[in-house]
Amino acid sequence: MDIYVTGLGCISPLGFNVEENHLQLKTERDGLVKSKYLESKYKSEKFFGEVKMDTSSLLQKVNIPNKKGLTRTDALAFIAFDEAIHHAGLLKKDINDSSTAFISASTVGGMCLTDELYRDSNLHGKNSEYAQSYNCAAHTLRITKEYQLKGFTNTINTACSSSANAIMIGMKLIRTGRAKRAIVGGVDSLAKYTVNGFNALQILTDKKCTPFDVAREGLNLGEAAAYIVLEAEDVCIGKTKYAKILGAGNTNDAYHASAMSETADGVTACILEAIADSKISKEAINYINAHGTGTQNNDQVELTGFHNVFANIPPFSSTKSYTGHTLGAAGSLEAVYSILSIVNNEMYPSLRVTNAIPDCHKMLVMQYTNDIEINTVLSNSYGFGGNCTSLIFSDI
Amino acid sequence: MYVIKTSNISPQNTHNGQFMQQTISYTGNKYSAIEPDYTAMIRPAQLRRMGKCIRMGTGSALPILQDEDKLDGIILGSSEGGLEDCIKFLIQIVDYNEGTLTPTNFVQSTPNALAGNLAIMSKNKSYNTTHVHRGLAFENALLDALLLFDEQKAETLLVGNVDEISEYNFNIETKADQYKKEEISSDELLNSQTSGTVCGEGSSMFLLSSKPTNAVAQIVDVSHICYPQKEEIIAFTNTFLSKNGLIPADIDSVIVGRNGDCKTDFWYDLVCDEMFKTQNLYSFKNLVGEYPTASAFATYFACNLVAGKKAPKASIIHECTVPKTILIYNHFKGEQHGLILVKQSQL
Repeated sequence: MDIYVTGLGCISPLGFNVEENHLQLKTERDGLVKSKYLESKYKSEKFFGEVKMDTSSLLQKVNIPNKKGLTRTDALAFIAFDEAIHHAGLLKKDINDSSTAFISASTVGGMCLTDELYRDSNLHGKNSEYAQSYNCAAHTLRITKEYQLKGFTNTINTACSSSANAIMIGMKLIRTGRAKRAIVGGVDSLAKYTVNGFNALQILTDKKCTPFDVAREGLNLGEAAAYIVLEAEDVCIGKTKYAKILGAGNTNDAYHASAMSETADGVTACILEAIADSKISKEAINYINAHGTGTQNNDQVELTGFHNVFANIPPFSSTKSYTGHTLGAAGSLEAVYSILSIVNNEMYPSLRVTNAIPDCHKMLVMQYTNDIEINTVLSNSYGFGGNCTSLIFSDI
Repeated sequence: MYVIKTSNISPQNTHNGQFMQQTISYTGNKYSAIEPDYTAMIRPAQLRRMGKCIRMGTGSALPILQDEDKLDGIILGSSEGGLEDCIKFLIQIVDYNEGTLTPTNFVQSTPNALAGNLAIMSKNKSYNTTHVHRGLAFENALLDALLLFDEQKAETLLVGNVDEISEYNFNIETKADQYKKEEISSDELLNSQTSGTVCGEGSSMFLLSSKPTNAVAQIVDVSHICYPQKEEIIAFTNTFLSKNGLIPADIDSVIVGRNGDCKTDFWYDLVCDEMFKTQNLYSFKNLVGEYPTASAFATYFACNLVAGKKAPKASIIHECTVPKTILIYNHFKGEQHGLILVKQSQL
């Protein structure tokens, strides 16, 4: 039984909906800026993939009556979720059906309110409206409540592969007949907490990131939310379909808490597993949306993985050069971009590469390309804790 | 799927297997886990760096991991992960005004740090996920395992949970009115008729297999629902049973997540009065306290019951027959409701 993508929704540094994101991708315009809204001393020192709107204006876009306790993370999630279900033309009865699952992901959750969390956790000040907002699952539960979702709901946190796993779990629920439909994806917003965490690990660059360039200096942090609607063949007859999800791989590198093995064990096994799960040949893959964070370690290891798997590496690029690393949202945001690649037969480049890593320069996509046919895309996500996930989408 | 082995660290003497014979009473709002001597299994240098969450989770998982060289995945449920590490890092940020910080707390604070750590320690490169869906994080970990077995992608899995009491989550939940204001004995907890409950912690680990050989129990199915209406919960429970070919009379025992909070315990009465009037009825939160993944402890308890061990007195609300088919009904704050069906493995 085939599983189709029938709806897309996203909000990111590239725009407030899928259409705006697509336009920026095609015109090679990144969304990396000195931060306007982040409360951190690094806001003007580093580049960030920031959503170009303050939190209270974002909350005005959220169409629910009671907005008490909602955070920036929640606002982003609501906006992308709403776009996805409308894009898929889901009716209220579809959304409320117990066979509709909602699987989300986040690593930051409500910790975007870093200072409020500090106060509440140390019992400073009066009762805060945010006491129930910090948890990673807070946005999932709030959406579940407001939209009256009755099926399986879940929140995944496998660090930077979180929302790729949310998509995988949704796919499995449909495959095994436990759900007919799954709204899947994830969200993360910029937070003083993560900025300082990644800064302490010394993997943030002061410049705009340059994934797969020899002189890459690290990553930019970003924020986004992205959801896709997956539907079993028999519940989307006659509907507009954008792509199929063919399969997924999930492995662990089992090497280090915050770096990947030089031999790319996790990466290699994960891609191979996704290919096997999809029941396709390696050669069927036309394009790879790489994890490509822009750190020395990630890009080299990912490339080693490509060499381990492919005799001829397909064209690949990292759209993190547009958005920065949106952490828990990256897997689903890049799934949306992979699906846009398939629908429009386009490849979006790794921006700003002047000197590509020598053994990959031929296949690294460095400019917008639309004179090709894209049938099958591999999308990779890797996270701290050794978590690796690969997803494969194809045309319908 | 079948439970081959269990391992447990909790506020009861579960780490040494004494729990079913003798229980411990608590007074106050925090039921802290009784931790074993970890030095036999974890190197001291490593142990010093571990926050409580990672330490308990590792200590609970290692007895299973050490004997198991072929595992097809590690699946954990944890609402908060290493919250203590998280807040330690937060304090660094504030105290040093975002200066030069050490990343150890940051890396350990992510809820997937434990599953990643276990993968490294056991050199396990297979499937690895962490579910953080608050009061349904463990139910989702079990569901994940069921999906892998359904698709025949795994033969054996390590599935478990961890949640810790940290000063900080205790403070945050106190602000949300989660805990009792008065001091009360665990023996009186379930009949307190006051608002709020007590805070617990722990880690349960299960070696699950697709095959019944050497099994101590079978986990037949799991399901959940969020924010149900009162009448929905009965229909939901009935649907779950009938999906598994059962009617309420086929269930001989129910383990409920009653926690002494008069605001939310009515859900258990609602379901039991309507559907399970004569069945054995057991509690567990008067033994281990409330926390988002407490249903993992209930699952451990159910495995012990169907394996033929006698329920400790403090857990018995009503008992008239030998437990063979157990339904665990647990909710978190009346918002997230989960069902887990556990059977004797020969049935």
